[in-house]
Order: sequence, then C-alpha cells, then structure tokens
Amino acid sequence: MSLAIAGMGWVTPLGSGVGPVWERLLKGDEAQAEKITEQFSNQCYSVFRVPESAMTGAPSHPRLRRASVISRFAAAAGLEALQAAGVKVDSQSAERIALVLAISNGGVIYTKRFYRDIVEAGARSASPLLFPETVFNAPASHLAAILGITGATYTLVGDSAAGLLAIKMAEDLMTNEAVDYCLVVGAEEVDWLLCDAYRRWRLLRLTPPVEPFGRIDQGMILSEGAGAILLGRDGQIIIEGIYIGGYYRKRVEAEQIMKRILCNLNRTKIDFVISGANGTFIDKMEGSALQQIIPDAFVYTAKPALGESAGAASLWQVILGGQALRCGELPPLLHGGPAISLRISTARVSVATATHAIVLSSGVNQQVAGLRLSIP
Amino acid sequence: MAKSTSANGKRSTARVAVIAAGVVSPLGFGLSEMLDSLRKARDCVSQITRFSVTECRCKTAGQVPDERLLDKRGNGVRAQRLHRASHMMIEGLREALTQEPQFKPELTVIGTTSGGMSYGESYYRSLARGENLRHSPTWIANYPAQKPVIDAHEAFGITAPCQVIANACASGTNAIGHGFECVQSGRYQRVLTGGYDALSELVFVGFDSLQASTPEKCRPFDRHRTGMVLGEGAAVLALENLDAARARGATVLAEITGYGISTDNFHLTQPDPSGIGPRQAMERALQSAHVSADAVDYINAHGTATSFNDAAEGKAISELFGRVPVSSTKSMMGHSLGAAGAVEAIICLLALQHQFLPPNINFRTPDEDIDLNIVANKAQPAVLRTALSNSFGFGGTNASILMRKFEA
Repeated sequence: MSLAIAGMGWVTPLGSGVGPVWERLLKGDEAQAEKITEQFSNQCYSVFRVPESAMTGAPSHPRLRRASVISRFAAAAGLEALQAAGVKVDSQSAERIALVLAISNGGVIYTKRFYRDIVEAGARSASPLLFPETVFNAPASHLAAILGITGATYTLVGDSAAGLLAIKMAEDLMTNEAVDYCLVVGAEEVDWLLCDAYRRWRLLRLTPPVEPFGRIDQGMILSEGAGAILLGRDGQIIIEGIYIGGYYRKRVEAEQIMKRILCNLNRTKIDFVISGANGTFIDKMEGSALQQIIPDAFVYTAKPALGESAGAASLWQVILGGQALRCGELPPLLHGGPAISLRISTARVSVATATHAIVLSSGVNQQVAGLRLSIP
Repeated sequence: MAKSTSANGKRSTARVAVIAAGVVSPLGFGLSEMLDSLRKARDCVSQITRFSVTECRCKTAGQVPDERLLDKRGNGVRAQRLHRASHMMIEGLREALTQEPQFKPELTVIGTTSGGMSYGESYYRSLARGENLRHSPTWIANYPAQKPVIDAHEAFGITAPCQVIANACASGTNAIGHGFECVQSGRYQRVLTGGYDALSELVFVGFDSLQASTPEKCRPFDRHRTGMVLGEGAAVLALENLDAARARGATVLAEITGYGISTDNFHLTQPDPSGIGPRQAMERALQSAHVSADAVDYINAHGTATSFNDAAEGKAISELFGRVPVSSTKSMMGHSLGAAGAVEAIICLLALQHQFLPPNINFRTPDEDIDLNIVANKAQPAVLRTALSNSFGFGGTNASILMRKFEA
C-alpha cells in the first residue's frame, strides 16, 4: 500500500511553521533555554519552551479556551499540515479523515494542578473544569472538534517512539478504503514535575548543551511542542516501511532491536538517518547499531537544537527527514564532539542527491521503532 | 463494508476468531468466576478502602481485592515493585495463555485511561510533603501507560510491539476493534488485545467533582439513576485469523465480526443528546459485519447510569434495535474505564458461549423516556447468536464491536 506525506505542521521551541523552523535549523540556531523552578524546593531546570510569539497566529476556537497548551500545540500543527496539503474537512470528508495523536506525558500541567488542589485542600476543592483536561485524549478531542472529524480518532500513549507507533497505526487504518487521509500528530508540554522525574531517573541535564553521541551520557533537556503529518496515498514524500520493533527490557537490548529494525529498513541505499540521540544512554545504542548496519549514511539529530519532546519527538524527526529529502540539505549537528565515529557534519551539508532516509526512534521507556522515507 | 488491503496489496476480509481470553475484575479472577457472578447477579461494588473518600459524595467502587491479586505476584523484589495494574494484566494474560500456550502475537493493542496513576500520586504527595523519595525511581518507572503491558509481555516471553490506546472510557473497545481490523485486513495473523485500569484517587475524585459518580447504587437506565460508580480490572483477548486458527486445531471461543468508531464533537464530557455519536458507532459496526440490526440478540450497553449517557445511548439503541435485550453490567462491577470495553467483550463472549443474558442489577423503575428491553436484575437464559458491546468516552469517542457465537 502506498503511504505518503501530503502535508506537515510544526510547533517547536524554535518557532512554528515547517519553513521557518527548518530555516533556523539550517542556520545552526538552537532554542533558548528557559529556567523553571520546582515548586517544593529551589531546584532549577532548563527547558526549551515554545515561545509565545510562535503561537500568535495559532487557531482560536471555543474548545481551546480552557485547554492546556498541549492541545493548542496539537491544534496549530494539525491545522498547518492540513493547509499545507490543501485538504479541507467538510461534511463529505469528515468521516473519511482519521486522527491519531501520539503523546507521552499528556496534559501534565493541568493534571498536576488538579491533584495539587486535592493534596493541599482536599477532594472538595477538586476542579470539575480541570479534570476533563487531564484525560489523555483531551488534545485529540479538541483537535477533532476544531476540524469537525467524525470518524476514527485515536490517542496513543508511549515514549519518544510513540509517534512512529502512531504512523504505523495510521498505515493500518489506511488499508481501509473508507479512510482517505490520516492526520498523525505528536504533542507534548513541559513542566517542572517532568524535569524532576527525569532527573531522579538520571536522564536529565540541568543546563544545555545537549551533547549527542558523547562518551559520557550527560543527559537531555526537555522541550515541548507538536508535529503533524497528513498521510495520504499520494504525496511528495513516501513512507516506504515502518517497523515498530517491540520493547527492550534492559537497555542493552535496545541496540539489538535497533539493529533488527535497521536491517529491515536498509534494503536500499540509505543516504541519511534522522536519529533520536538526545544525550542519554540512547545515543550509545543508536550509535553502535548505526555503525554496524549503515556506517556510510549521514547521521543527524535535532535534539541539541530542539530538545527532547517525548510524544512529539518522532513526528519532529519525520518532518526533519521529509524536509531534508525535499530541500536536499541537512542542518548542522550541534554540540557533536570530535570523538563521534559516525558520519556527521557540524556544518549544513548538501544531500541533494539523497533519495532515501531512515528515522530511528528509541524512547527512554522501552519502545523502539524506525521508518524509511523516500522521494521519487 | 469498507474494503481493506493486506500487506501484499490484495483485498482481504479475513474472519477473526477469539481463541483465548483472560480477565481479572471485581466479578472475580478468571472466566469461570466471572460467569458465576454474572449468573448470580452478584453486586460486587463495595466501600472504597484504597484511599480516603471522606470528602467525596461517592464512597464505593468495584474493587479487585489486593489479598488475591498481590498474593499471586511472587516474592521477587521486581514483582513487588510493579503497579497493581501490571499484576492485573499479568493475571489476565496468564489465563489466556493457559488456554493457548503457543499464542505469539505479532502486535499487542491495549486500552487504558490512566496507566500507573497511583504511583504518580505517591510521587507527587511525597514531593509536596517533603517526604522520603527513595521509592521515587520505582514510582516513575512504573507510571507510564505502556509499562503494565510490557510487564505482562515480559512475564510470558512475548516480544511483540505494543500500541497503547488512551481513548478514555472507549479505550478497551477501541483496542479490540483496531486489533480486529488488523487481523481482518490480512496484515496480521495474531493480535493480542484488551484493556486495563486500576483505581486511583485522582480519577475517583475527578468523576466525583463532576458529580458523575453516585453516592447511591449504580442503576443504569433506571428512571431514578443518579450516576456511575468506578471499577477496575484487566481483560485480554487473543485474536487470530479464523482459518489459520482452525487449521492448527485451535478452539475458537467466538468471532469478532464488526467494529464501528465515531467521534461526537458536541462536548468534551457530554454526548450529543440526539445520540448521534453512539448511533453512528453502532451503525458502522453493523455495516462492518454486513448485518442488519435485527441480527443482534443482545446488547451490552455502555450504560454508566449517568443521566446524559443513558439518555443518549438509550435513544440510539431504541431507534436502531427496538426491543432487543439490553443490560449494563457496570451495575455489578462499576466502570473500569480503559478496561471496561475489554471486560464487557468477555462478558459478551460468556453470554454467547453459555446462552444467557447478563443482568442489569439495581434496576427498579423503567425510564419512560428510554424505551429499552432491560435484562432486569437477574440473568436470563436465551438463544444468542450475536452480541453487541458499546463503549463511549470523554472526548466524544464512541466504539462498538459485534461478536458472534462460533459455529463451525
């Protein structure tokens, strides 16, 4: 079955819109870290937030009035993807467009606020307005309502690989001829509570930079935003294969799964790989698997520039892969040390003849997946 | 029916068999205990013991007893760290694999609404109170929604990738429905599917704050219904291409024949009063199965006993199906959210296998505005060939599946 990207949308700490964000990445820009402080101590964290200026042109809709930022990010990215594809949802198409939304932590800001009220002031103070926004599928529900989708709507929860699992689900949904398009969105919002949790798990770096593929795992910087791709049967970028490789019990198993995925995807010459390297243990696994299976391909990760956006992360990677194939360039890899034995470039590099790319995503919560993109 | 294309590009509409099932719920551990509870119309809702409910209107829920659940977990440190939801998933899968030890899924699709939420609560409370956080890595590692699924896989050596659907209260039925479509399309031969959820304070207080839960008995479709009670549990169904299952001599418990999904954009927490969302889901399930409404012999309703849900669902059922027997088994065990659709699919499976109508307990007074044939208070013997199971959730997600008694 042919699966193609018909449109893309992007909300990131470097701004919103596929074109503007891509240009900034090509220039070597890096998101500006913002300090946030834990509520119960003086512990400070650095995060990459979506700047307010990036949301000025975002849709306004009654459904978004009380919604958390994750829903706003998802709505902005989803609408951009539809507009880019020139697809309008009307009464005829409302049930022929499916929506799959990938998240990891979901509406953590409202969830924390809702539970905080219970802890501090008792159950009677719990807000009936906040509770519905804590539900994992609130962003998908708002987006479906804004677009008027009446057919299949799914929310998938996972780690950074969730976006690729969502694309796999979209592929399965689109085997049904009653579905013309599937809008796949990944979204996440950042909060100090997440920073604290990841710090206790020894996965977080307190201040930038994120140093990918380093000798020592220095940790990641959390970020937020959304990525969206509209999948159809025709489009400039083709998704040739998706492998959702299972889960790893121990970290060392992740490399084996990645190698298996790469072997499955490496059936034609691969020009470059959009990696999920984020400064954690993931980098060693990916680096080792890539060296063994696809040593000649360029490797790029945007996480030093954009941070780790968990549920949105692999959608961002797919957008990066699509843009690089379309534009024939890869942005410079930021903060890559000289010891990296992969084929990387610290300056923007031409991949004008590139026709095939792999997106590889391994989350910190045990899921691994990959897909292959091509441009005819 | 919508046609689908298999991995090799050929159109396919394979028949889909349920070849094994397992369940843990307030109605009991395993199919046999559940069957006994259903036949005896047992009320398995009890006073909440897991957390304080002194400030809540509602004080009850359907609960899986820890003394049985955690007794099975073994003494290993790792097993003791797992969330209750993981233990429920492990027990559900253990039962299914006892029936079909060789079942190796290519994909797992499981529904949930809140993952390991109570561990998130412990973590936040400890932070807020400045308490010892030495358990925090355990809480954090076992909080993600996919963790109980991975734990259950790991317990039995399953390596399939897992997709975790969080479509609120429709999650379990959506998971089964998507698993069904994956096998029906010919792209997969075997899919493990189901749902789980464990009670948590945050969710309990949330429904209480909305005044959706009741301080009284849960009385679905009753004129004097006052709301839902929550529940918990886990259920799994092993789906396989029916021809392949029969070729290898597997026992077919039932067939899944149809699935419908719709999105109702009326409100984040309330259904369109016209019943359009539920109606579309049920119509699409019928279309998917190539059958008309009169083929359905029993409906396991979503039936939360909230005023809005039962009115909208009742209207849609009555318009589409007339006087077909209907019950909401949530009256007996509460609403187990992400598990509900999977648990109720197993209730339909038992009803088809044992030819009876599961009861809608606590039913006293018919609602004049809802013209339904309620299976009131007692299980009833019946000749059943096809059953429909409904699940509707926050966010306007509506899902229905059709299940048929297997006849060789």
